[in-house]
Amino acid sequence: MRQSKRKSRTMLSYHIMISAGMLWLIFFNIVPMFGIVMAFQDFNPGLGFLHSKFVGLGNFEYLFSMSDSRRVIANTFIIAVSKLILNVVVPLTFALLLNEVGNLKFKKAVQTVVYLPHFLSWVILASVLLQIFSLKGSINGLLSVFGIEGKIWFSEDVYFRNLVIGSDVWKEFGFNAVIYLAALTGISPELYEAAAIDGCGKLKSIWHITLPGIAGTVVLLSVLGLGNVLNAGFDQVFNLYSPLVYSTGDILDTWVFRMGLVDVQFSLATTAGLFKSVISFILVVTSYLVAYKVADYKVF
Amino acid sequence: MKEGKEKELALSFGEDMVISRTKGRRVFVAANTLIMIILSLSCLYPLWYALCLSISDKAAANSGAVTVWPVGFSLDSYQQIMGDWKFFNSFGISVQRTVLGTIVTIFVLIMFAYPLSKPTSEYKYRDIIMWIVIFCMIFSGGTIPWYITMMKYGLIDKIWGLVLSGGMPVFNLILLVNFYRGIPKELGEAAVVDGADSWTILFRIIVPCSIPVLATIILFTSVGYWNEFFQGLVLSSGDTHYPLQTYIKQMVVNVQTTNLSMDQIEKLDKLSNKSLDAAKVFIAMIPMLVVYPFLQKYFVTGIMLGAVKE
Amino acid sequence: MAKKTISIIMAMLMMAGLLAGCQAEPVDSKSPDNESVVGYNVAVNSEDLPFQKFDEVVEVHIGQSVSATDTLPQGKSVDNNQYTDYLLENYNIKVICDWTAASGNDYEQKVALCIASNTLPDGMAVTRQYMLKAAKSDQLYDIKDLFSQYASPQIKSVMDSTNGRAYEDVTFNDKQVAIPAVEVETGGVQVLNVRQDWLDEYNLKAPETLEDIEKIAQVFLEKKPAGDETIAIAGPDKNGKPYSDFLDAGTTTCGFDLAFSANDAYPGFWLTDESGEVTYGSLSQSTRDTVELMANWYKKGYIDLEMGTRDSTIELINSGAVGMYFGAWWMSGYGTGDAYRNNPDANWQSYPIYTSDKKWNVKMGSTTTGYTIMNKNASEDQVKAMIIMSNALLRDESTFDVSEQPLVFWPIRNLMAPADECEYTYNELIKVLNGETKPEDYAKELSAYKLLADDTSVVKETVPGYEKGKQLTVQDFSMENFGNFQRMYSLLIGDRPYSTTPVEKKVYSAVYSQTETMESKWSNLKSMEEEVMMKIITGKSDISEFDSFVQKWKAEGGDDITKEVKEIM
Repeated sequence: MRQSKRKSRTMLSYHIMISAGMLWLIFFNIVPMFGIVMAFQDFNPGLGFLHSKFVGLGNFEYLFSMSDSRRVIANTFIIAVSKLILNVVVPLTFALLLNEVGNLKFKKAVQTVVYLPHFLSWVILASVLLQIFSLKGSINGLLSVFGIEGKIWFSEDVYFRNLVIGSDVWKEFGFNAVIYLAALTGISPELYEAAAIDGCGKLKSIWHITLPGIAGTVVLLSVLGLGNVLNAGFDQVFNLYSPLVYSTGDILDTWVFRMGLVDVQFSLATTAGLFKSVISFILVVTSYLVAYKVADYKVF
Repeated sequence: MKEGKEKELALSFGEDMVISRTKGRRVFVAANTLIMIILSLSCLYPLWYALCLSISDKAAANSGAVTVWPVGFSLDSYQQIMGDWKFFNSFGISVQRTVLGTIVTIFVLIMFAYPLSKPTSEYKYRDIIMWIVIFCMIFSGGTIPWYITMMKYGLIDKIWGLVLSGGMPVFNLILLVNFYRGIPKELGEAAVVDGADSWTILFRIIVPCSIPVLATIILFTSVGYWNEFFQGLVLSSGDTHYPLQTYIKQMVVNVQTTNLSMDQIEKLDKLSNKSLDAAKVFIAMIPMLVVYPFLQKYFVTGIMLGAVKE
Repeated sequence: MAKKTISIIMAMLMMAGLLAGCQAEPVDSKSPDNESVVGYNVAVNSEDLPFQKFDEVVEVHIGQSVSATDTLPQGKSVDNNQYTDYLLENYNIKVICDWTAASGNDYEQKVALCIASNTLPDGMAVTRQYMLKAAKSDQLYDIKDLFSQYASPQIKSVMDSTNGRAYEDVTFNDKQVAIPAVEVETGGVQVLNVRQDWLDEYNLKAPETLEDIEKIAQVFLEKKPAGDETIAIAGPDKNGKPYSDFLDAGTTTCGFDLAFSANDAYPGFWLTDESGEVTYGSLSQSTRDTVELMANWYKKGYIDLEMGTRDSTIELINSGAVGMYFGAWWMSGYGTGDAYRNNPDANWQSYPIYTSDKKWNVKMGSTTTGYTIMNKNASEDQVKAMIIMSNALLRDESTFDVSEQPLVFWPIRNLMAPADECEYTYNELIKVLNGETKPEDYAKELSAYKLLADDTSVVKETVPGYEKGKQLTVQDFSMENFGNFQRMYSLLIGDRPYSTTPVEKKVYSAVYSQTETMESKWSNLKSMEEEVMMKIITGKSDISEFDSFVQKWKAEGGDDITKEVKEIM
């Protein structure tokens, strides 16, 4: 009796705790979703959402009939997946390496410095990168020492994608490492001490203690990253690309931007956006189920 | 805090005892140090570059002569900023937005995450809510319906518009939920026996245990608020309401040179001032650079204080 | 033709009367100005609709583009400045600015959002695709009747100077959906700018044909007058394009339109031949040949190797590294002021480029460059008020003191210039310099050629080195008042070709706006075209790609669109 009363009081507390966040979610995330209806309409702003003509899946058909769109989707996928993987591997490796640095002052200095690019917006970084990689930029200067011919790197479609991926990883690795460092500090030092006493080598203790200790964080971030799998980085690509590299560099978001706010094709832009969301959702659900069924691990 | 530091020391000490004498270790340490130095330099360069540009002569900056050192030292740009009241107005809006936004976010998340960290047996709506949250992270109606909604709420030119309109920060929520789930159950259970209710458990036990992850989230959130510019543009009726990044963004003018009208032509001349832009960027970075070291210490030494581990 | 237009304008000006002239030059109040005063009295009278004062205050809500570099004095704002005061005082029009955004991308995003959310202010100035989108969504006021009643004779004469093109551009389903901004004709005409001082140094003649350009480029590249940085021919930067198309208002900056038309090629335009057949100029053999030639130039290093990726070609030109570039009349003066600040001896000269049989073909831009649109739900008075604002701007523009409060703060600034304004001004300036006329003669001529009085009054002090019959050089100009220098340089050097050289053929596009199919398919085709052309020129694709582009273009909707354009004709 007293237990059940206690339980209902706990329940009530839970509901109250949830409420603020739920309201935020409802009013600012869910309500604007009514706009998804545009993807199925020939949206006419004069008539509004209620009276615009419905065209069923017409927008989707048109979207996929364009030679552009297949290319854009492929680009988006390649760039985003590469970023997804490298943005886990590189910061993780970095965090592990940094953890190996003995000198605390040096360690702290490095850590303080590598997060810096994260704070710079792509507008600024892009102009710096374009200069460094331009014909007379320092990269070509460096390469000429090895007898490599100079190029305008960001206007070569062969390299553009890799440069986008690379520069993003470079910009974010320090900051992403913050999460892994936080997870690393969560591993009890006694474990390492015990391993050391057992005569475990460095690599071995990383394999047996460090990685399992942060596996949860890695999996979590990867799965959440899947939700972003079609977010290949609008700000970045938008500031770096040019028609010369559309073939490898144009991504869904830049394309949607040109469609929606420049070419004022509101419905088509929404359609492409919705397509992106659906794919992302499928990926997240799948990976969640795999993690749950195979490893019995509930990601969220 | 002190305890944390000791553990850290013990950690590196322990390693050294075992392998420091081997040759391989020394090669590794040297290579590792070199890698760290190169990475650090590459990360410092853009900041250095912005600084160099901002204190270089306008003509030198525009001609692209600045690469590694300032060319033709001049503080004109900073002087010009000092006379720009709109810049400081925007700076103020951004500070307000960041502080307010971070506080609100942290507060909401601390509470929201707690019931969600419970298993379904203890809070049966947990899974449904979680899936709604995930759904909201991935789906959106797009810019236009979002703008219409915010307008209907009357959030144009309002600080609360800048704080709330981005929606719930789902990513950080999930981070926090998972952290809560990793906190040993015994802690809570012991408190229940002592007669504590869920509020007490949350704020007296769970939150103090979560300082590292909260610090991480504070950092993510504040950087996000500070750097956001698009909402600032869409939700403001003019530059006197812009947050700083939006204000800076409009400085970096991209003129389509095929579509110039006469008045744009007349202004072309004045448009480009890379040195001034760089100075504004540099100033805009300062608050983040100041705040980070304070939060940083939690990442490094903030081990779950006093928590029972597994 | 031009003469006739001018005489009509003059007649109308006389009839309407010009207070403006009287305000600007009060000393000169002879008989025509007395008439002006009478005219003004009529204007105050409610009978004179174009300048009527409302009995009660009419509030007009607008969206305004501002430039980050222009500021108002402390205490003034976009809806509280000398212009809004003037409108309130003289016409009882109260301007309320709903929002502002920096001109360019920011402003256009705001406009797009306004249209999408159906929250247009009473009036705002937009570009063509936004006007069409709003018109198609039935969001715009049909101003046809009110415009014919309330537009001033000056406005109408400017509109008429375009042979009906201006009206055509703003007519949608028989409704007039906007007041167009009418641009000077020469805005769409490209000239070649070249460093005459470099030519002189190597005893080269001014270029006349593409072969000449090639030879000069070769010499520039060998001799490197600007050191290792020397670039013979500048190309478009990352915001630029190799040539303008029918949707662009003006010509390109550092694109190659002139090179194309020297080969009788007009890429980006819809062309009609004698039989009425419509083709798209980008697909033609002559376009292919010119693209191949450009690729050849690029390969030889004549054209900037970083074309298409540079942040700003204008900065490159300003730095003094460039020997030649193509651009509009204003580029040599307004566009590249820093070039002269950095090197006062940079003697840029503008020339036309002829076909191999010495003809000058000109690719003409669209007549209208911007549109003042009005919300369908605005009241009749509000629409009248906005038309009156345009009238007042054209009539009184030159009477304001713009030193503290620049004219960009005029609410919904709608530019109106007679098509031949620059050429007319050029000829009058030469007359003044030759002593054939006096600056004072122009004081009364303000309105349609609104800047003529100013221009003629400063031309002598700005060009002290003028000698009749001698080609002006940069040393003949005084840079003391840099703004005047830029304007005079643009007019007397940059517009010299179009003012003095006979044109063999003016080529217009059959349409300057999108057809229905284009609305959905054009952006795809356009980006395909831009990409292919840039890649061929920069040697990243072979010229054979051109042929597969033509096939692909036709298959992916180009053929349908061509049919549509033909139907419209």
